[in-house]
Amino acid sequence: MGTTVEIYLYASSGERAAELLEAAFAEIERVEAALSAYRPTSEISRINATAARAPVVTDPEVFGLIALALDYGRRSDGAFDITVGPLVKAWGFFRADGCHPSPAELSEARAKIGWQRVALDHAERTIRFLTPGIELDLGGIGKGFALDRAAHILRRHGVTTALLGAGRSSYLAIGAPSGTEGWAITVPDPSDSARALSEVQLRDRSLSTSGADQKYFDLDGRRYSHVIDPRTGQPTTGMIQVTVTALTAIDSDALSTAVFVLGPERGADLIEDTAGATALLVAGYEGEHRVVAIEWSEAFDPRGR
Amino acid sequence: MMKRREFVTASAATAGASLLGIDAMAETLANRRTWVSDEINVGVIGVGSRGKYMMRLFLRIPGVRVTALCDVYEPRFAEGREITGEDTPAYRDYRQMLDSASELNAVIVASPLSFHGEHMVASLERGLHVYGEKAIGLTVDDCNAIVRVAQNSGRWFQTGLQYRYAPWYREAIDRIRTGEIGRVTHVYGYWHRNYNWRRPVPDPSLERLINWRLYREYSGGLLAELGSHQIDVANWIFDEAPTSVIGTGGITFYHDGRETFDNVQAVFTYPSGGTHVFSSIIGNHNVGYQVNVYGTGGSVKLTLEDGTFYYEPARANSAVPQELIERGVHTSATLSTRGDMPYRGPGLPIEVPEGEAGNPTFLAAASFIESMRNNARPFADEQVGWRSAVAVALGNRAIRGERHVEFAEHLEAKE
Repeated sequence: MGTTVEIYLYASSGERAAELLEAAFAEIERVEAALSAYRPTSEISRINATAARAPVVTDPEVFGLIALALDYGRRSDGAFDITVGPLVKAWGFFRADGCHPSPAELSEARAKIGWQRVALDHAERTIRFLTPGIELDLGGIGKGFALDRAAHILRRHGVTTALLGAGRSSYLAIGAPSGTEGWAITVPDPSDSARALSEVQLRDRSLSTSGADQKYFDLDGRRYSHVIDPRTGQPTTGMIQVTVTALTAIDSDALSTAVFVLGPERGADLIEDTAGATALLVAGYEGEHRVVAIEWSEAFDPRGR
Repeated sequence: MMKRREFVTASAATAGASLLGIDAMAETLANRRTWVSDEINVGVIGVGSRGKYMMRLFLRIPGVRVTALCDVYEPRFAEGREITGEDTPAYRDYRQMLDSASELNAVIVASPLSFHGEHMVASLERGLHVYGEKAIGLTVDDCNAIVRVAQNSGRWFQTGLQYRYAPWYREAIDRIRTGEIGRVTHVYGYWHRNYNWRRPVPDPSLERLINWRLYREYSGGLLAELGSHQIDVANWIFDEAPTSVIGTGGITFYHDGRETFDNVQAVFTYPSGGTHVFSSIIGNHNVGYQVNVYGTGGSVKLTLEDGTFYYEPARANSAVPQELIERGVHTSATLSTRGDMPYRGPGLPIEVPEGEAGNPTFLAAASFIESMRNNARPFADEQVGWRSAVAVALGNRAIRGERHVEFAEHLEAKE
């Protein structure tokens, strides 16, 4: 994940809290060790190294997570795609050069991506890549999954009040601090980090934000985001920030990425089709920001600035 | 719910000794399916953190199913079934599992250390192949019993010393054997962490069941749970077993009623002149896990994920071939230390060939299943496990008060 995880929890003593935190961090480390595409010893690296040659058996947890991620690929018409890695690398490389990848280079990268090119056999629990060059990268939901798992461990140990956060972009709340409606999470205004666009009282839900890092790059007079649209092979334009709340952190992670790529209209369909999900979008039109709320019940600043 | 104390009492009749005579054992073996088909069914004794981790890895191997779970602590049943994704039969008594689960081909033993001997011996006697977590036994008697039964059972035993299967360890040791770092005289093994080594306990009555690692009745402490690996790597490098140990340790950080030390230091001596210095501390994380191998011509640092060679400046006692010194110079990995300041530059990383990388514990599990399918002796067999575990047991005698222990005084003439 390459990110910082923070956990706040209520416990009967400092020692008890330390043990609970260790148990949660141990689970996050276990998940990271299994899912990181950057560790040669991870299960994802093993699958990436061999699934183009023959079907690879994996354990029910990893299989289930990949199946869920591919299902998000289907539901988002490919806007969320765990095979997008080669395309991201192509753009990253060319961006460093200050120019576009050529059509030939892009089509080469696009030949190596596509969630439909990953075949699952549920009975045999196998994963197979239908074309060579496919690489799975669960970065888009790995953080969320790690938070879901850590919360599961904390709940198993009887924790009823905790907030887990990963990289200041994903949060998962267990219960609420005594006397409150929930854990107060600020959705920042992307044009002024000192201002709040909205505030959520998060309770037994998750919240993920895409785009809050405000990373852009300019090429040929156009402003591009760092998020690549797997469907077009081009960086997305027009979306500034997407915040999603959902019942699990996997859902909020996947949905925030998918909606960032899909835009307000198709994004709204996806949010409305997901039980318990809400979203607050900041879209950019000719220098103006437009705030779009989808099932969002909290107050927000519609100007966005 | 059965408490650990009751569990110990209930199973005292079998402790340390086999219930079955040789004839009964032969009959059991005949009844047990010996031919291992593509489908391999595995049972798990001890569904704690290690048992659950091992289950996930075995479930990544084609044709392997986990079909039986055993633990004295019933909440583990649901935790285990969460991993298998099915309603796996679960047992509170391992004997009931061994009696009832006739489909089993192999057992993973991941129970607390003091129960290893009993669980591993019983599983082997029932005709099952055993993947037995390290250390194989708490006492020298336990270790001897496991080796004896494993060798008479006609079944394979593999010990959970998974770095034997790590590609970068295997390459490092191959290259050390060719003389690449000269004459190897010292291994410095470390496993340092910075937390209290406790698991959260739902109720104080479960303290010894959950936190068994902290109590001497069940646990060999840090030397067993962590040091077993470094001890095994030193045994592997020197290609022999140690013959004496000096040790010390104490409770320095966590005065919380625990009995096993929160820091231990042990120095093992090998017959051909090698020395292994091991340290484990759980109040500082600076060095983490590492095994440093020192030779007259260079060094190797092995970690949980990789390995690196360093070459000594060319001196009269250097045994490094000229060609390798040139590689070192070329990478600026050597010949650049200044005086006795520590070397702080890069080394020459061990390159793991494409397609051979992997999680050592997964590679160990997959190799165990291959041993069953191909009827081939595991690399980390019961002898490998025995050498590490008796060094742990005798090292603990030194650490806990005897200070200096000669192995010959405690071991029968074997090996």
